[in-house]
Amino acid sequence: MPNTKSITLTVNGTAHELEIEPRELLVHALREELDLTGTHIGCDTGNCGACTVELDGEAVKSCLLFGVQADGSEIETVEGLEDHEDAGMGRSDLHPVQEGFTQMHGLQCGYCTPGMMMASKVLLEGNDDPSEHEIREKISGNLCRCTGYKNIVKSIQYAADLYNDREPPESPVEHAEAGVEAASDGGEPATDGGTVAGGCGCGAGGGACGGPGGDDDE
Amino acid sequence: MKAAPFEHHEPSTVDEAVSLLGSLEAPEVVAGGQSLVPMMRFRLATPETVLDLNAIDELDYLREADGHLRIGALCRHVDVEESPLIRERYGSFADAAPLIGDPQIRNRGTVVGSVAQSDPKGDWATVLLAHGGDVVAHGPDGERVIPADEFFVLPYENELREDELIGEVRVPAAGDDEGSAYHKLKRKVGDYAMVGVATRVVLYGPLVAEASVALTAVDITNVLAPAAGEVLAGERPSAERFKEAGEAAAEAANPETDEHGSAEYKRNMVRVLTQRALADAYERARGEGPAESYGTDQTSVGD
Repeated sequence: MPNTKSITLTVNGTAHELEIEPRELLVHALREELDLTGTHIGCDTGNCGACTVELDGEAVKSCLLFGVQADGSEIETVEGLEDHEDAGMGRSDLHPVQEGFTQMHGLQCGYCTPGMMMASKVLLEGNDDPSEHEIREKISGNLCRCTGYKNIVKSIQYAADLYNDREPPESPVEHAEAGVEAASDGGEPATDGGTVAGGCGCGAGGGACGGPGGDDDE
Repeated sequence: MKAAPFEHHEPSTVDEAVSLLGSLEAPEVVAGGQSLVPMMRFRLATPETVLDLNAIDELDYLREADGHLRIGALCRHVDVEESPLIRERYGSFADAAPLIGDPQIRNRGTVVGSVAQSDPKGDWATVLLAHGGDVVAHGPDGERVIPADEFFVLPYENELREDELIGEVRVPAAGDDEGSAYHKLKRKVGDYAMVGVATRVVLYGPLVAEASVALTAVDITNVLAPAAGEVLAGERPSAERFKEAGEAAAEAANPETDEHGSAEYKRNMVRVLTQRALADAYERARGEGPAESYGTDQTSVGD
């Protein structure tokens, strides 16, 4: 009979009583006990940051602590963003970080995105107008293997614009003409990947997607 | 893979922890867990019991007291990184903290845990050595102070007894004429050091009263390079002297060729980083105002 422990986790504002084995990682407790599968497991080694959650106000990798170690903690996961008090500040009902990632094409396959967004959320709550350098520092524990970090940085800057009552930039996703600009410093020229709206069909602006026509497939 | 089953114990005082340590079956002590947890999930470590220090509030401190900078077992890397005291007076600690792991890992991992792990690629042991610091252990017979230069024995092996845990590490409080620095070569964010060098310089007027150099990842443990410090003692600091000290440190290093570089390359990097770290430490020792206003910014993140 495995030994278990009773713990309380407050996740996205809701308290949960759990009975778990000490060896169960926090990320497994979230995904398997609470069915909150937005928090991803990417690497199994603590490198990739896809499992990043907010634990008592700090970004942590939920694969690097056991669930029992989070007993009594307040945890925020990606599922909590749309109901967060900052949601709806921009042009949608989403959290500023979520809106930034959708508008500025901050994701491609989406695997790293929950961790990226949680690292971004914690960053912006400590400093709502970070420099590009500070942004890159704070997401340095989160790996993206699709396309690079340019649009992720732009997504976080978009959210910072919302927090500071500045007009955020036009989305290259919804405005094809803005996509040329986004691609011009974001990687391959638009002509390489076909039309500006995304020759690969992924909807990425210009060459930002790195799909067919991009380096990775050749 | 999941960790092997274990019992989780969470004492709330040091005394309770020490008494548990004596009675539990094959325990591992965990604080930040940023090395131990992955080792457990890959079953490189299979403790039957885990003694978790996280509820022992009395171990959560970073302060100057009784002539020492004292770092308790629950002090996280980020606490060092963000400490005004560190930025003001302890350049080597201020340099090393942001170069460890990544932001999430620094939010959990601890200075003392890194020392206890005794990985020769770890940074804090080197800083501790350069400052002539101590490890303060708690065991059934009370407190035991182990000088850092006697503590590290082999990779992952140190002088700590099975019935002891580390309550704090400490270094002599920095004087006004003292400066220190840490330089680290690594391939990317999150990597361990390929080479790391900690330096500490104490001035007496225009001369160096005392200097020390310690090295990361170029020997079987973190090591002091006393010959490098001796080059400077009693001398007037100059680029030429720093160069000689760099050469002495390179000679003292004992690196091995691996996938990150040849022994020759690493030895050369010891030489270069020693010079740079000595120059930074000297600038901080001489300079007016906080340590953070001097030295080289090594924290830039590339694309």
